[in-house]
Amino acid sequence: MYEQLQHILQSNRLILPELIFTGTFLVVVLLLAFSKSLDYERIHNIFNFLVISVLVSLSFVFWGFLSYYKTYFESGSVLYSGLLYLDTEAIYFKLLISVCSVIVLLHLWVVGYRVVGEFYAIFIAVILGLYLLTMTTNLLMMYIAVEFVSISSYILVAFNKGKLNAEAGIKYLLVGATSSAIMLYGISLLYGMTGTLDFASQQFATNLLLNPSWVVLAVVFMSIGGLLFKLSAAPFHIWTPDIYEATPTPIVSFLSIAPKAGSLLVLSRFLSNLTVDYQLIIGVVILVSITIGNLSALWQKNTKRLLGYSTIAHAGFILVGLLAINEDGMKSAIFYVSTYAVITMAAFLLVDLLALKTDSYELEELRGLGQVNPTLAVSATVIMIALVGLPPTVGFTGKLLIFSALYQGYEDTASGLMLFVLIFGLINTAISIFFYFKIPYFMLLKDGEGNQYFNMSISQRILLFILTGAIIFLFVYPSRLMEIINSL
Amino acid sequence: MNNILLSTLIFLPIIGSVLIFILPDAYKGSFKWLSVIIGVLNLLNATSLYGSFDRQVTEYQFIEHYEWIRLSLGNLGVISIDYLLGVDGINMPMVLLSAIVLLVGSVSSLTIPSRDKAYHALYLLLSGSVMGCFVALDFFLFFLFFEFMLLPMYFLIGIWGGERREYSAMKFFIYTLAGSVLILIVMIMLTLSTSDVFFSQELGGTVHTFDFRQLGDFRSYLDGALLNPTQEQSLLGIPARMFAFILLLIGFGIKLPTVPVHTWLPDAHVEAPTPISVVLAGVLLKVGGYGFIRIGYGFFPDVAFQFTYIIAGLGVVSIIYGALNALAQEDLKKMIAYSSISHMGFVFLGLASLTAEGVNGAIYQMFSHGILSSMLFLIAGVIYDRTHNRRIENFRGLAGKMPYFTVAVAAAFFGSLGLPGFTRLGFDGGYPRHRAFGGVFSVDNATNVFWEFLGKPKPSQ
Repeated sequence: MYEQLQHILQSNRLILPELIFTGTFLVVVLLLAFSKSLDYERIHNIFNFLVISVLVSLSFVFWGFLSYYKTYFESGSVLYSGLLYLDTEAIYFKLLISVCSVIVLLHLWVVGYRVVGEFYAIFIAVILGLYLLTMTTNLLMMYIAVEFVSISSYILVAFNKGKLNAEAGIKYLLVGATSSAIMLYGISLLYGMTGTLDFASQQFATNLLLNPSWVVLAVVFMSIGGLLFKLSAAPFHIWTPDIYEATPTPIVSFLSIAPKAGSLLVLSRFLSNLTVDYQLIIGVVILVSITIGNLSALWQKNTKRLLGYSTIAHAGFILVGLLAINEDGMKSAIFYVSTYAVITMAAFLLVDLLALKTDSYELEELRGLGQVNPTLAVSATVIMIALVGLPPTVGFTGKLLIFSALYQGYEDTASGLMLFVLIFGLINTAISIFFYFKIPYFMLLKDGEGNQYFNMSISQRILLFILTGAIIFLFVYPSRLMEIINSL
Repeated sequence: MNNILLSTLIFLPIIGSVLIFILPDAYKGSFKWLSVIIGVLNLLNATSLYGSFDRQVTEYQFIEHYEWIRLSLGNLGVISIDYLLGVDGINMPMVLLSAIVLLVGSVSSLTIPSRDKAYHALYLLLSGSVMGCFVALDFFLFFLFFEFMLLPMYFLIGIWGGERREYSAMKFFIYTLAGSVLILIVMIMLTLSTSDVFFSQELGGTVHTFDFRQLGDFRSYLDGALLNPTQEQSLLGIPARMFAFILLLIGFGIKLPTVPVHTWLPDAHVEAPTPISVVLAGVLLKVGGYGFIRIGYGFFPDVAFQFTYIIAGLGVVSIIYGALNALAQEDLKKMIAYSSISHMGFVFLGLASLTAEGVNGAIYQMFSHGILSSMLFLIAGVIYDRTHNRRIENFRGLAGKMPYFTVAVAAAFFGSLGLPGFTRLGFDGGYPRHRAFGGVFSVDNATNVFWEFLGKPKPSQ
């Protein structure tokens, strides 16, 4: 009894940042309750400032915690009798998610979105859910965390009370509910097969071996349904373009990074503990995601839908790291997802800044915009070549690393699937140039009428410059980021 | 020994490009002169390099070497990317050629009608990356410049080109990118198959290097690596090294271009503005040939040996098919474009001989084609600027109105068909008979055009 109490107290200490964040959630809710009569502008700024500063300080806490943890703990620690599991990778992903959230909030503020105060409460809830997601090795906890994130995201998507938003919210909810039902079914079957919910345990691994492998594969595929949904990987991707089109851009930007990062970590943990050969599942998911994402994006006329399909393709590229089935694969996947986060946030900020000028997200409206606004044109080109994965941007480094890991995996295992994914994935890069370049194409090559010089505010410039600069800087100097990832 | 001459070749244009980008529009008139001045400086630099280039030494010269990226990847080892530049007998002529052609290009850019600022910024960016591609001795760096060339080229064709510019620019981009993706696959395979012997001992792990000098050395292949030449390993049913070589053949073949992956070239050439056609034909095609010599033949000599007939065949097919197509063209620029394909076929033919003379001939052919095709495109541009017409039949009797110009035309076309006294005579590869065979077609093309010049003027003119 005493030991268990000790254990729980010990566990509390290690998730202190999350507990503080939960406190912030309560503060925001309380503030909301008592500030309805106050001036909107002021209260909005207060919320924004409060949440940003808490997240920034949390980032510093996680940063310090990462090195603290590395020095004082030899391996991951099990919290709350196996419900949570904390290791350096989890802390790194929490750091990543916090930093992304800060940038998303800055994006929101810089572009001048007017959101109701409840937004911040829900936003904090999503982040809390993601923090939980990064720490799961328990199937039930994984399900709860995924639902935690999903339910809060449904509300985020349907927040603006327009018709489109409501439609998007319902679509998101329906697809999400279906995939989590499938996931729950898979989990229940896994529990039936193994008698344990802890997928990191020995019992799980040995009992899985007693079943025919095709049954296990089918069940595993169902169980990762919810995670694939969060990753927007095929076949759980259908929600993506509609939701992306209807939802306010900063939220989309957030939804296309943070949940992906969290799911990647859990997925890799779950898969690496499996005793069956899961290559086929992941390989097919990758191939289908990349194909659907790229081919559908070719026909898009709306920038946000285009980016929506592009995230489906990129979900495939992120998973390539897991297909490699070696340590380097995971590391390169972490590198890819970290740098992809920067690129995506930059892309969504860019799209939003362009929309400020043209009042719509249609590609046609961008005609000639870049001819009078060279700064925007240059950043658009840099961001788009980063999405394609061309040098001199970090998108290239990321692709180089995951495909190198995949090649290494091929050399080790000689699996034809890996080689196929390698060649197929890279050739898809060449296809993707066509639609990514539509944005610079319309901005620079097409002539528009009456384009005025478009004055961006200084804060917009700074944010865009930081993100675009980071894309190039990380290409020239990736060593520091890689060192951090290596030490995880 | 680090001197900065080669870096200057790359960074002078890039700095110029940035300068043009940030200078306010008030200095609009000076952009083109800045571009020309940089061209002159680069040519001086390249000439001095050529002058002090020691022809007796087989090693790389003027080497610049700095550490750039060291990525530690756990089990995969350390990936080491260096900033490594240097020249030898293969790329020295290419550097000189680029300097000449780029200067010619910037001079002929003086009359660009619109949006000078963007044009010259992009042009200088292109110049810098072309130079970088030729002097880089690190595969990663080479690939970086190789890909980076596409971007300014895409915009230069797409914004300042002719009527179908957007289609051609995109076609060019996608074709070349598809090629470079194949090269990227080989880059990954090569790098992971080799290790830097010296640094691996020093750092106590595997160091994967991109250094050309190491990649070409068979001793640096790791034991059991897929591309290890001493161990036969197969990939998709064919030997792994042959697989890599085929990828390179297609990748650089697109850039060169060789039949059947040449279709982007006539489009791009015809639609590009004159200076860009000049640079495209004069320099960019050579990157394909240079890359294939350096990487395909340099790192896979054992496979190249087995591919002699295929490469020679591709060369001959390109020569004949390009020449036959050129014969049928009525558009001057399109004719020159197809004759470029034909001429670049000689490069493959020379390489296929696998003799020192053959490779020398291939390089010489690239140099001479660089000069000649630039001149031909300039000629086309000069006429087009004045008449807005490129149909060969309409040039009838121009000799009477433009006598000096006609001399230049004669020089260019006779040079291009390989008459004595002009540069192409220097081509003396391993297959002189084939060359003569292709030459017949070149004669037909050139005389065709020249005949029109000397003919009687149409009544309307």
